[in-house]
Amino acid sequence: MKDLKHLLYFENLLQSAHNELITQAQNEGKICVAYVCENTPEPLMNLGNAFGVRLFAPQTGSMDIATYYMTSLLCETSRALLERAIEGGFNFADCIIAPDGCTMMNRAVENMELLKTMGQGKSKFFHQYMEIPLKGDENGVQLAVLQCTNHILNPLHEAYGIDISDASIRKSVEEHNKVCRLIRAIGDYRKGDKPRITGYEFHVLTLATYVAPKYLLIDKLEETLRELKTRKPDGKGYRARVMVVGSEGDDGGFIKLIEDTGAFVCADRFCFGSLPGRDPIELNDDEDALTQVCRAYTYRSQCPRMMNMEKVYGRKEYVSDIAKEYGADGIIYEQIKFCDPWAYERMLGSVMLRDDYGYPVLSVDRPYNISSSIGQMRTRVQAFVESIEIKKLRGGEK
Amino acid sequence: MPVLKKLLLKLLAIGISLFAVTFIVYFFNLDMKLTSAIEPFLLKHYDNMPRNAHL
Amino acid sequence: METIVGKERVGEKELGVLFDGGKVRKRREWRGLKDTLYDYARWLYIMSILAKFIAKPRNIKAMFRYRWMANYLATPHMVDKFTMGLRDEALRIVHTSMDFVVYDVASTLDNIFKGDRRTGNDTEFSKRCVLTDENAMTAFMMGFPNVKAILREVPCMFVANLLTQYSSTHYLDVAQQFGLAGDVCPMPEAEAGVSIDDDFAVLGCCAVQVNTTCDGSLMGNGLIAKRLEREYGIPTFQLVAPMRHREPDVQKYAAEDMKKAIAFVEEHTGQKWDWNYYFDSARRVNDATRKRMAWLEINSTPYPQFVGAPFSLYNDTNYMGNCGRSKLFPPVDAKILKYAEKGYREKKMMAREYRHRAIIWGVQPQYCIDMLNWMVHCWGIVPLTDMLSMINTRMIAEDDTPENREQAYYDMAWLNENMIMRNRTHGGYKVLVDELWEFCDKMGADMVIMWEHMSCKALTGMHGQFEEQARERGIHLVWVCHDLCDPRVFTRQAIRNQLNDYMRTVMREEPLDPSIEILPDENAW
Repeated sequence: MKDLKHLLYFENLLQSAHNELITQAQNEGKICVAYVCENTPEPLMNLGNAFGVRLFAPQTGSMDIATYYMTSLLCETSRALLERAIEGGFNFADCIIAPDGCTMMNRAVENMELLKTMGQGKSKFFHQYMEIPLKGDENGVQLAVLQCTNHILNPLHEAYGIDISDASIRKSVEEHNKVCRLIRAIGDYRKGDKPRITGYEFHVLTLATYVAPKYLLIDKLEETLRELKTRKPDGKGYRARVMVVGSEGDDGGFIKLIEDTGAFVCADRFCFGSLPGRDPIELNDDEDALTQVCRAYTYRSQCPRMMNMEKVYGRKEYVSDIAKEYGADGIIYEQIKFCDPWAYERMLGSVMLRDDYGYPVLSVDRPYNISSSIGQMRTRVQAFVESIEIKKLRGGEK
Repeated sequence: MPVLKKLLLKLLAIGISLFAVTFIVYFFNLDMKLTSAIEPFLLKHYDNMPRNAHL
Repeated sequence: METIVGKERVGEKELGVLFDGGKVRKRREWRGLKDTLYDYARWLYIMSILAKFIAKPRNIKAMFRYRWMANYLATPHMVDKFTMGLRDEALRIVHTSMDFVVYDVASTLDNIFKGDRRTGNDTEFSKRCVLTDENAMTAFMMGFPNVKAILREVPCMFVANLLTQYSSTHYLDVAQQFGLAGDVCPMPEAEAGVSIDDDFAVLGCCAVQVNTTCDGSLMGNGLIAKRLEREYGIPTFQLVAPMRHREPDVQKYAAEDMKKAIAFVEEHTGQKWDWNYYFDSARRVNDATRKRMAWLEINSTPYPQFVGAPFSLYNDTNYMGNCGRSKLFPPVDAKILKYAEKGYREKKMMAREYRHRAIIWGVQPQYCIDMLNWMVHCWGIVPLTDMLSMINTRMIAEDDTPENREQAYYDMAWLNENMIMRNRTHGGYKVLVDELWEFCDKMGADMVIMWEHMSCKALTGMHGQFEEQARERGIHLVWVCHDLCDPRVFTRQAIRNQLNDYMRTVMREEPLDPSIEILPDENAW
């Protein structure tokens, strides 16, 4: 297929956590709100003069110093982020908001605070730790409202004078939805036998919307969408369609590796992915915007820490629904090494998707930076793709 | 009276014997030596049991 | 710290004579006539508990059905571990507390098998049973006099590993065979393995699970609940314990969910919440808190009395498993306090020298928890308290008034959030790191024995901070790594060697009792 005009631009943005759009936005006088978890409502960090970016650590090599502070058995994402913070790589942020979602990420941010890795020369810099719901219910929604008020809205207003009114939230949601609709529309081109965008290309675009100011990406996303309308697909240039499910997916190299084996990543149900992370939030006038945003995040969250059984079963149902919608032949359940929540979710999910829903499943754990384990992962994925092909040739049912 | 005395002596003898036996078991750890010898048979039994193992 | 010198121990001078590398000890300890006869009498009492237990055919059936039951063959052996080298009040304190724990666990097992579908199958009894997590406060049961809280995971996993070191390895292997990664905490991993292997007793009308202690427990619950619900038709409720438990703005969330948990139990058991019973339980919780604080006060003096694993395990059983519901605990608490006060007055010591005073921090390895007792005799290090015993010190409302009835939900939620161990490993670095140094100051500790449970991400995530801050404060921080209930990763001697190496190389000391510096217990229970 013809190269997407802006793909290289987006790829370059992802080479550094402190990308040029963050610099541009801050030069315009905007406040950078750093966050570390998908359970933190993004629209609340894009209010008024603020913009939210999710921290990630591209090109991570050694994590020796972070490993000293956190030992080698904590998840590599948390250590990579701490390592980057210690190196000064996140000093661009004006504040950081961390939910006590998973223990390891919480410890990473606590170490960042104690080691004073961020906020040098920024007298208004703050760390905020918030509670997030453990269940998808109305009690959880009320908690989320209170926590967002106390740990996102009020601190932003008090430190930086950010407008946290209902109108401001509604405006932010509308802008957020614009990006979501663009991403989802682009993502729809993964459906069908002849997709017009590869899983890797889509991942690059989606990832950019997490790690760069969204408002500065809209033009290029719109142009990309227009481009896709007339892009000629390669024909069925893949051997199997796979859906990737799992923990942090901020390394395009992993998606690329999968597609290099001949698979096509048709759907992305992982942290930093579009499902459900780029579902628009539809607001009504019956209730305040904050509550509606919190309700959306509470009920649609696919994070494994949501523990009521409706959520436990619901996450597998969701994976199956998405797999059907995007025509997946198989599912790859992946987790970052040493992630506790996804260790269990991967086990239960892969067994249930196989036994109860009839999907071929590959279950893998991987390092934060896939380049340290390319050979092993390629072998696993290749074997999986071949098994799907053989199954199809034998006329096997899903 | 002699009957009672005989009975008491008998009870005393039984008591002392019980004490001696149990104290020997206690002091030389014979109870744990016995149960530790039983354990392997139990473990083998568990290994041979059919299991409905699934998530 | 100035060494405190006491009297020479009566009876065995070198405890190493008891070990011969076998599964069990060569013999029991000679403690002098008085204490040997006392220990013998307590052994008879333990035997009577076991005899009463095996007299019931359903319990024999259970022995042959459940793999983890084999560990209970080692019950007296466990008590011997915790009483090693002890005399006088220290011996009596350990027996009072641990013998009662044995009794309590035996009662738990008896109840489990009474209702278990595969053994006793008493369906009427089972209808009044609610399954609860082993790592959860049973505060939500404080107002149900006619409902039994069944902590069915405790005998399978936690207690079993106190008894024999290899109790969990089969279940860990099962969980890993089914695809669970091996780096997760072995406690919920073993529980998951028991569930997968279908080795849990099946009883109860419903189950309440809590996300304590940690991410692993939270996640393992889902797996266990799936089997309970879909295979055995036992509905489950997941009760929240917010992570940031010190923050005021999470308490309403927790209290509201506590109300729902209680409503869930009412619905499924058909029993109504009883406020009289609740406030009675609350008074007992407060009493237990006061007693624990008194023990800690004594431990802050030069003559600590109620220390080590029994202190931790007894607090665990009373505070968490019982949570004020049983009337049997207060007299035991009072008896222990009486012994502790007497021991303190008479300046009784557990070893002939106290060279160091240590706070034991971190998560304890279940199969090596008797190391604390070993530490006293081998190196003269007195464990003043441990992280698991540094729990709630707040009194809860105990008078029945309309305001207190609403406060009660907040109190129960508070207890739930401040579950043993979890109240430190979660809730921010202040409760885990900063408060440790405060306890060191308050209790006059010159040393911290840091149990580094390698799979406990909450704790190891602060490794560097502990290291640096201990150095700043001039506190000897001894890292003792382990993998909780999996002795294949760190054997007992490997665990002890970490302390041995520190004492020899850093402290330049010789052991008080060299015969136990290296113990041949790789094959022991």
